[in-house]
Parts: sequence; structure tokens; C-alpha cells
Amino acid sequence: MLSLLWLIPLLPLAGFLSIVLGGGRMRGSMVALIAVGVVGLSAAMAAAVAIRFIYLPPAGNSFTQTLWTWIPATGFMPEISLRLDALSLVMVTVITFVAFLILLYSAEFMGGDEGYARFFAWMDLFVASMLVLVLADNFLLLYLGWEGVGMCSFLLIGFWYRDSANARAARKAFIVTRIGDAAFVVALFLIFTHLGTLTIQEAAARASREWPVGSGLAVAAAALMLAAAVGKSAQLPLQTWLPDAMAGPTPVSALIHAATMVTAGVYLIARANAFFTLAPFVQWLVAVIGAVTLLLAAFAALVQCDIKRVLAYSTMSQVGYMFLALGVGAWSAAIFHFMVHAFFKSLLFLGAGAVIMALHEEHDIFAMGGLRRALPGTFWAFLIGAASLAALPVVTAGFYSKDLILLCDWTSKSGSVWLWAAGLAGAFLTAMYAFRLVFIVFFGELRTKPGRKPGFRMGAALAVLAFFSLSAGFIQIPPDIVNFSPLSELLETSLPRLSAVSVGTQTEALLQAVAGLAGLAGIFFAWFFFRHPALVERLVLTPLGSAFRRLWLEGWCFDRAYDALFVRPYIRLAEINKDDCIDLLNRTLARACESMHYLLIGTQNGRVRQYAAAVTLGAIVIIALMVLL
Amino acid sequence: MVRGDFFILLPLIITGGAAVAVMLLISFRRSHLATATVTLVALGAAVISVICVAAAAPRQASALLILDSYALFYMGLIFAAGCAVTMIAYDYFERQTDHREEFYLLLLLATLGSAVLVSSNHFASLFLGLEILSVSLYALIAFHRERLPSVEAGVRYLILAAASSAFLLFGMALIYLERGDMTFFRSTQIASGVPAWSPLLLAGTALLIVGIGFKLALVPFHMWTPDIYEGAPPPATAFIASVSKGAAFVLLLRYVTLFGLHSGSVQSAAIAAIAVASMFFGNLLALREEKVRRVLAYSSIAHMGYLLVAILAAGPLAAVAAGYYLVAYFTSIIGSFGIISVREGREGGGDAVSDYRGYAWRHPWLGGAFTAMLLSLAGIPITAGFVGKFYLLAAGLESSLRLLVVVLVASSAIGLFYYLRIIITLYGPPEAERQGAAITPAVSLAGGVALTALTFLLIWFGAYPAPLLRLIQAMVGG
Repeated sequence: MLSLLWLIPLLPLAGFLSIVLGGGRMRGSMVALIAVGVVGLSAAMAAAVAIRFIYLPPAGNSFTQTLWTWIPATGFMPEISLRLDALSLVMVTVITFVAFLILLYSAEFMGGDEGYARFFAWMDLFVASMLVLVLADNFLLLYLGWEGVGMCSFLLIGFWYRDSANARAARKAFIVTRIGDAAFVVALFLIFTHLGTLTIQEAAARASREWPVGSGLAVAAAALMLAAAVGKSAQLPLQTWLPDAMAGPTPVSALIHAATMVTAGVYLIARANAFFTLAPFVQWLVAVIGAVTLLLAAFAALVQCDIKRVLAYSTMSQVGYMFLALGVGAWSAAIFHFMVHAFFKSLLFLGAGAVIMALHEEHDIFAMGGLRRALPGTFWAFLIGAASLAALPVVTAGFYSKDLILLCDWTSKSGSVWLWAAGLAGAFLTAMYAFRLVFIVFFGELRTKPGRKPGFRMGAALAVLAFFSLSAGFIQIPPDIVNFSPLSELLETSLPRLSAVSVGTQTEALLQAVAGLAGLAGIFFAWFFFRHPALVERLVLTPLGSAFRRLWLEGWCFDRAYDALFVRPYIRLAEINKDDCIDLLNRTLARACESMHYLLIGTQNGRVRQYAAAVTLGAIVIIALMVLL
Repeated sequence: MVRGDFFILLPLIITGGAAVAVMLLISFRRSHLATATVTLVALGAAVISVICVAAAAPRQASALLILDSYALFYMGLIFAAGCAVTMIAYDYFERQTDHREEFYLLLLLATLGSAVLVSSNHFASLFLGLEILSVSLYALIAFHRERLPSVEAGVRYLILAAASSAFLLFGMALIYLERGDMTFFRSTQIASGVPAWSPLLLAGTALLIVGIGFKLALVPFHMWTPDIYEGAPPPATAFIASVSKGAAFVLLLRYVTLFGLHSGSVQSAAIAAIAVASMFFGNLLALREEKVRRVLAYSSIAHMGYLLVAILAAGPLAAVAAGYYLVAYFTSIIGSFGIISVREGREGGGDAVSDYRGYAWRHPWLGGAFTAMLLSLAGIPITAGFVGKFYLLAAGLESSLRLLVVVLVASSAIGLFYYLRIIITLYGPPEAERQGAAITPAVSLAGGVALTALTFLLIWFGAYPAPLLRLIQAMVGG
């Protein structure tokens, strides 16, 4: 069974190829069948592989499949090889499963779009790249997947490319993440030149052997990888692209910009954990970036009016939680939260998509309202998603994963009260903005009459995701309730254990109660403000209130700051420096080539006499060279 | 000649026999389909026979021919390329009316000549092979005898090729004078190593390089290329660009290896100079050229220059690099001329780069395949051309040919410009009046199969080179 691992990424790739090559001639239903079918098959394969892996673990709890070596040369063996261990197993299972549901949803959601085949081709290519990313056994292949998902993200954000705003958003996402990608490439060069290998496990082992903790090289490698992760995962300071990325179709936002691609940074840090353990400062930085991002993004989410932008900031904030967990060494808690987040956030996006579709492309939440009765199915799905996001105690999956992260912040040796407090404040804010959305969109009076209701395929995807948003948490229950944690046991076969100071069961229970209360308080405040709109009005009208509102609405004005600090100076500098020596050199080279071309082309005059003369002259020169030298 | 000799000569016998059969077939009944089919089947059988006789290699068949695994590998490549050219030619001549059957006869003969060339171990067989090839090429180039450019190109090639053959003959005479032997190498000399260089032997070798260099279109013997590429029918050009040059290169590689002209010997300086000049001149000449076929002609000069790097690098990687590069080059250049020929056979139209504007929108498949071919020629990753160039560089660096490697990289960078220019034009906005004029089907079955297979191989060899690498290592690496 495990030897069929290669099929998992290959199937979506085959789907992509068949749609690209034959999509023009296929009917829409055929395209959807292929696109959804291959990912479904891939998910089934992943499930089968998972069962085999869990019940009959391979030797060393990992399975490496070397497919071939691309271009072997002395000292450089770029192998195309896949590695399945607990970490990649969880990633692969979640990715294929969520992608299948989202594609099923899209088959209906995207119906009638003129780019139907194009959409599915790119979605399949994305899934294939994402699977290559998480299954790669070496950094080079990982990088291929990394760039592949980046390219698909670019193509899908600008899917409706005729609107130049969408194309701009796509470009922004591409350029901002590219900063991180460049850092990643430098990290790869560093690792290859100093460790002599690009195989992830081997490089990690050699680094642990050869580099002392806190050495310059270890810090540099970890910091560069952190930069890459920050770009991909939309964390401070490279977070500005994510809200704009909502220009793409809603299923794209659900799959790429919520469930999978934005968590690639989390995966990278977890995968390269050895490097971060060697650089404690960088690891501390991971936690701090996570904590700050989760707070800033949560504040920004509080005031947004566009339903998708709320969710975008929420994604940023939730990925911040994952970074927080990674930063304190709670590797498996981060992956647990990734899994749960993939379920509830894609549920929220798909629910939002259903609302948007019903209201004829309306994104403004204040034009919605009262949809509880008009769209009951969507309402329940969205409510479950919001509850899970708000970490409603005991019944939702979000509670278990977020609680674990908060607990780890408290107990970890590298944790601190401040990180815990930031996480707790974030939990409060999360609950507040999540339920602000629920109340404004689904309660109150009906403002716009809904049109098309979700059909079977959209409904089924919502229902399954809703189920998992509630139940996925039960595979990792805190020990003071029931001692049942198969997920962390599984993950700890490939990720290091959290080194924690033990606290009593009572402290643990107390921490859980505090975290639960924070969420409930957030929900209460959301309800309170919703019932008293006049109060909100007054708050917003105070000078301080309106200033903060504007600040948060623009996501802390990072765009404006970057524009003033980097973009405009850069463009100005480029303009001033248009004719600098480098350009001059380039232009001279080009011009020299061109003039040499015109010089040489003169010899090609079609006169056979001269051609023959050239042959003879050449012969004389060569004889001279050979005999005389 | 004993039975074993006949057995190992089977590929040559099949091709030669097929030429006779096709000639008889034409004289009895003119049928384009039947002629093309017989040719294709014969060349296919020749490929299979190469695989069959491989177990009996190496064997010296008479004094003239040596059939070792090196010769057999390239023979297989030549026959396979012949198959592809046949299919493309069928597509091209499908819409023309008179005298198209002889093309296949000439093609078979030219292929036979090339096969003799790669297996020759004797100056007599060298000259024989070369002349079978050349004489067939004169007629292939001038095949459109009603069109002036075609006839002109044929005559031009005839004059220049005859002149260069004279150089070659004189070179052979000089070498014979010195050594008293027409074989490249006697077994006794293999033991004693490299022969002592005397001025006569050097002069003879220099003249030999002139003769082969003309076939390869190396600077300064390159000037015929654009005119002939432009004038000849595209399938014939595909053959000249691939098989004719490939066979001459394989011969040169064998000769240079046997005579130890590489490995930094002083004598190799002349070859290095030719390589540098070819790489630069080829790419510079193509830079602003307006006609697609002439661009490819100039670029082929540069490609042969790249291949010379493998000849000069003596390391164990060099032979493998040369083999891989030749396979990649064959695939991409036959594919490129295949598309040019499909377009010209069906749509007509000029050969200027601007005439290709919007071609990819009208024919997405053909446009995509052409793009892949051009990217491979430019050496972009996941195409065969990249892997080939990668190994050329690796082989060059292994033998510390710093200068040549730097020139290779720099001139490839220049080359990127004109390949990308064609690709951009392919995807440019189509001209309004042409838009409705798409002909269906865009390509016949034979042409479609050939182009699809070539594109597939191109990507396969680029993404998964291991099987081909193993094969080349086993056949020519040892």
C-alpha cells in the first residue's frame, strides 16, 4: 500500500494535464468529474495509506520512496523522492480531504463561469503542488512544490483577470511572498554549501551534529527559513498580501488562502524543527511574530465590512496561533491546530461563498442580515464554523486545539506568561469578531432577498466540513478530561516532544476554564454590541474610536506604511537611477551583441564564391594552427 | 564475410533493401501512402534490428565497418529520427500533387549513408557513407524543382559540399601517406596509445576536420546553412539539421577519441577555437534574423559548437553528455521543423517571425509543441535540452575547460533572446484577417503522431532522464 504513495500527488497532476490538454473540447460536467474525481481518488489513497501507516507502522515510523534521480552529477543528486512520516501523513490526509470537499463545492459554485475548465485545471495543479510540498524528502523538491503553490495562488487570485484590481491583487501576493521565497533559496544554498546535502532528514542530522546551539550558521539558516515561512503564511511583516488575495473566487480563498497554502510556512518550520532548535533566538522570534500577528489581525478583523476580509484577517490570526505554538516548541499542537483550522476555516469560507452567491455577489456584511430563516442550512454551517473558530468549550474542535496551544504556552520551558496572555486576549477577540459576523449576517432584519440557494454538492461539502469542525477535536482530548491523545502520540513519532514543566491537573483545569471563559465573554460582547448598535455608533464617533476604526480597517495601515517606506522610494530611486552604470553595462552589452550581429550578417550575402573562400581560408588557418602549434 | 557479419549488418541491409524496394514500387505504381508506409516500416524494422543485433556487438564486419555498441546506439537514433522525418514528410507532401514518392527513396538512401558513417572505421567507408549521404541530400534539398530557391539551394550545397569533400579526400591521402593504412586505428595501436604526431598527420587531420566541419556547419564553414535551410523543403531541412549533422558529429567524436586529440593536447586548440567561434557566431547571427528557418539555421551552428565542448572534454562524462545532447537536439530540432513543415504544408504563408503571430491561438496544440521545442533548444529546465546542456557543462567542468564552459553559458544567454522572441510572437494577438482561416484538421494523423511523440519524449527526457542516461552510459559510456 505504501509503495503507491507516488499516486497521491500524481493523480491531481494527471487531472490537471487532462483538463489542460482536452478541457477545451470537454463539457463542463466532464471537467468537473475529472477534477473532483482525481482529488477524491487521491483522498481515498491517502486514507488507505493512513490506515496502513497507523496500524502497521513502517520501520522507523517513516517511509521513503525514491522515484528517480533527476540529473545526477558529482556531488549533486537531486532525487525525486517522497517521504511519509506522521507529519506528512497528517498534512496529506487533511489536504486531500479538504481539497476534495472544496472542489466538490466548486463544481456547483463555479457553474456557468466561462473559465470553468481553467479554474479546475489550476485547482488540480495546486493540489498536486501542495502534495509535492508536504511529501518532499529533500529541500529541492519541497521548493518545487513551494513555488508551484505560489504560482497557482497567483493564477487563481487573478482568476477574473479582466478586472485590473484582481490582477493587481495577484501581483501583490506574488511579489510579497517572493521576498520570502528569495530568503528560502538563500537558505537552500547555505544548507547545501555547508552541510553538503539537501535531503531534509540528513541535513537536520548533520546540522545537529556539526553546528553548536546558537551558532551563526544555524541562526542564519533558521532565520532565512522563518522569512520564507512568514511570507507564505502571511505573518508579520509580510502579511499584507492576504486580505487582497480575497479577490479570487471564494473556493480559492477557502482552499489556498485558508486551509492549505498559507499553512505551508507552519509545515516548513515544523519540518525543519532541528534548525530552529539549534537557534533558540529565532524560535523565540517565531513565537513573538505569531503572538503579535494574532493580536493585530484579530483587531483588524473586528471592524471589517467585507465578509471575506473578516475571514482573511481571521486566517492570519489563526496561523499566528500556529506560529505561537511552533515558537514554544509545541510542534504537534501547531499541526493539530492546522488540521482543525483547515476544517472550520474552509467551512466558514464556503458558507460565506454560499451567502455571497445567494445575494448576487454582495460582499458587504451590512447589506446582509436576517439570513437565518432564508438560508437555514448555510446558517447552521456558518454557526458551527464560527463556534469552532471562537473555541466554544467542549463541543467544538477549535476549543481543543486552541486550548492545547494556550496550555503549551504556559507550561513550555520556552513559554512565558506574556505569550499565554496574548493568546488568551486573541481568543477573546476571535470569539468577538466571529460572532459579530454571525449576528450581523444571519440575525436582525432581512436586507437583501436571497436568490439561488446552495444545491446538493455545496450542501454536502458544508455538512461534512461542519461535522469535522465539531468532532475533529476529539482525537486529542486534554488529559484532565479523558486521557485520549492519539494524534500527538502519532505526531511525536516524527516531531520532538514538547519539553514542558509539569503543572498540576488543577492548574490545567483552571487554565482551560479561563480560556473557555474568554471565548464565552467574546461571544457575549459580540451579542451586546449587536443589540446596542447606538453604543457602537457612539464609540466609533469618538475621536479615538474613529481613529482606531480607520487604523484597523486598513489592517494597521501596513500597506500605506510599506508604500511610503519601500515602494515609492524604491520606484523613485529606480527612476533616478535609471541610467546607472549597471544598466549602462547591460545596454552596452546588448548593443554590442546587436552591432556584432549586423557586422556578421553582412557575410551572409548569398555569394557562393565568398562562402567557398571562407572554407578555404578556414582550412588554411586550421592547418596552420595544428601544424605550427 | 561470414554469417555473423551479415547478421550484425542487418540494420544496414534492411535500409539498403528498402531503398531498392521503394524504387521498384515507384516504378510500378505511384502511391504516396504505400511508399511512405514501406519507408516507415523499413526504418522501424531497422530500429528493431539494431536492438536485436546489439547482443552480438562489438564486431568488426569486414575491414570497413565496426559495429560496436557506440555505433549501434547512434544507428538506432538515426533510424528513429528517420521514422520521425518520414511521418513529417508524409504530412507535408499530402497536399502536393506530383513527384513526392522519390523523396522517401532519397530519405532512405541518406539514412543509409548516415548509418554507414557512424559505423565506419576506415577512410573508404567514411567517404562512401559521406557521399551516399551528400548525393542524396543534393536531390532532397532541390526537391521542389519548380521552385527557384529550392534548386538554388541544391546547387549551392552541391558546389560547397563537393569542395569540402575534396579537402576531406586530400586529408585522407595525407594520413595514408604517413601511416600507410586506411583504418582509423589498428588494434596494435590501441595498446600503444596515441600515435606520434607528425606534420603530415596533423595536416591530414586538419583537412579531415575541415571536411567534417563543413557537414557540421562549424565556423568558418557555416555559411551555407541559412540558405540551404531556407530553400530546402522543411522535412529535408529537418533531416539535414538532425541526422546528417549527427552522423558527422558521431564520426568526428570517434576519430578524435581514437587519436587522443582532446585532453588538452596542443592540437586541440584548433578545435577549441572552432568551438568558441561557432558558439558566438551562431548565436549572434541568429539574434536579429527575421526568418524562422534562418534563425534555426544559425542556432544549429551554435548547437554544434556546444557539442564540440563534449569532444574536447575527455572525461568519462563527455561521451554520455554528447549522447544525451544529441538525443535532445534531434528531438527538438526535428520537432521544430516538423511544425514548420506542418504549417507550410497546410497554411502556406511566409517564413518571417511575424508571420507566426498568434499561431498558438489558432492551433494551441501545435503552438504548445513548438514552444516546448524552442524552450528545449534554449535549454530551459524540464525539457531534454536542459539536461543535455547540464551534462555538457558538467563534462566541461570535469575536464577543467573553464573558458569553453564560460563561452557556452554566455552564448546560450544570447541565444535565449531569439528563441523567446519566436515564442512571444506565437502567443501574440492574432491578426484580424487571419483569424477565421484556420484549416481543419490542423495536422494529419502521421504528423500528429510524430509531433506528439516528439513532444512527449522531450518532456520525458527532461523530467525523468534516468532510463535514457542508463542506456547511453551502457552503450557509449564504457
